[in-house]
Amino acid sequence: MMGTGNAGVVARQSTPILLFDDECAVCRRMARWVGSVACNAIGERTIDVRPIGEDPEALRKLDPTLDIWKVYAKSHLLMPDGTILVAGEAVAEVLRRSPGMAWCAWLFSVRVFGMRPFQGLLDLGYVILSDVRPIFGCKSCGAPALWARPFVWLVKTARRLTGSKPPARRPHFTPLPATGDAASRQPPPPRR
Amino acid sequence: MNQSQTSSRNTHDRPGDGIPSLDAASFETRVLQGQGPIAVEFMSYSCAHCGAMEPVLQQVAETLRSRERIFRVNVAVELGLASQYGIEGTPTLIMFSDGQEVGRAEGPDPDVATMLDVVTAPFGIQ
Repeated sequence: MMGTGNAGVVARQSTPILLFDDECAVCRRMARWVGSVACNAIGERTIDVRPIGEDPEALRKLDPTLDIWKVYAKSHLLMPDGTILVAGEAVAEVLRRSPGMAWCAWLFSVRVFGMRPFQGLLDLGYVILSDVRPIFGCKSCGAPALWARPFVWLVKTARRLTGSKPPARRPHFTPLPATGDAASRQPPPPRR
Repeated sequence: MNQSQTSSRNTHDRPGDGIPSLDAASFETRVLQGQGPIAVEFMSYSCAHCGAMEPVLQQVAETLRSRERIFRVNVAVELGLASQYGIEGTPTLIMFSDGQEVGRAEGPDPDVATMLDVVTAPFGIQ
């Protein structure tokens, strides 16, 4: 099993913890799906699915080596033994621990000439999905990867043609969710 | 250490992080009552643009250490400050001089040259 070993781990629960980006619509859907399939025969959760949140200190209490920026960049699965699995490795482990999906999880351990081809495909799939998240409405996911930009452009153009034009966005700016109460905003404090 | 110094210390400060995080109380003492050029990044950890800008801003903070202070405010936590300063998205940089806003930039290009220009232009720092 690959992953980041961690000697300085704080007391950890017996169930793995999957940290997900609660601001990303795609990640929320995935987390909901994991929550629904990661249950054993008596209904106990086999994976604890938690939003990453906005508190770097709270995250470091789970594991002192966790950097909140890195956790937002890729899925992290905190294992009870202190190992941290990231990206495609985390997805494979989630599948292994989901009774309904375990049938396909053995594939990711198959080795051919020392390589794990199916794990490689899963890693590639993870990168592709991660890069195209802006197409699926993730406003916090940042600028799409270079290779994905033509697809993002195509989707935007299609939306424009069909009348569902997304709001214009500045290239390096994430708009805050509308509160629906712009009038209640206080003006800046008076200048001294 | 006196009381005001104690209250302005933020628990998010850590070794290697050249950009202290502020809450409403420390914003008051360190920015509004602060002296000299100050830049504040209004950000959130879930914003990938802010993540892309983070190493650049750390480098800029290190470069300007003796001439200008840079802080961050997490708008997901400090909703009052975000509302008070009319933050519409992240990252937004607001430059303060002697407690007064003197410049603002929304979503600047995450490269060192642009960032240096953005945070120093209102103060004429070379």
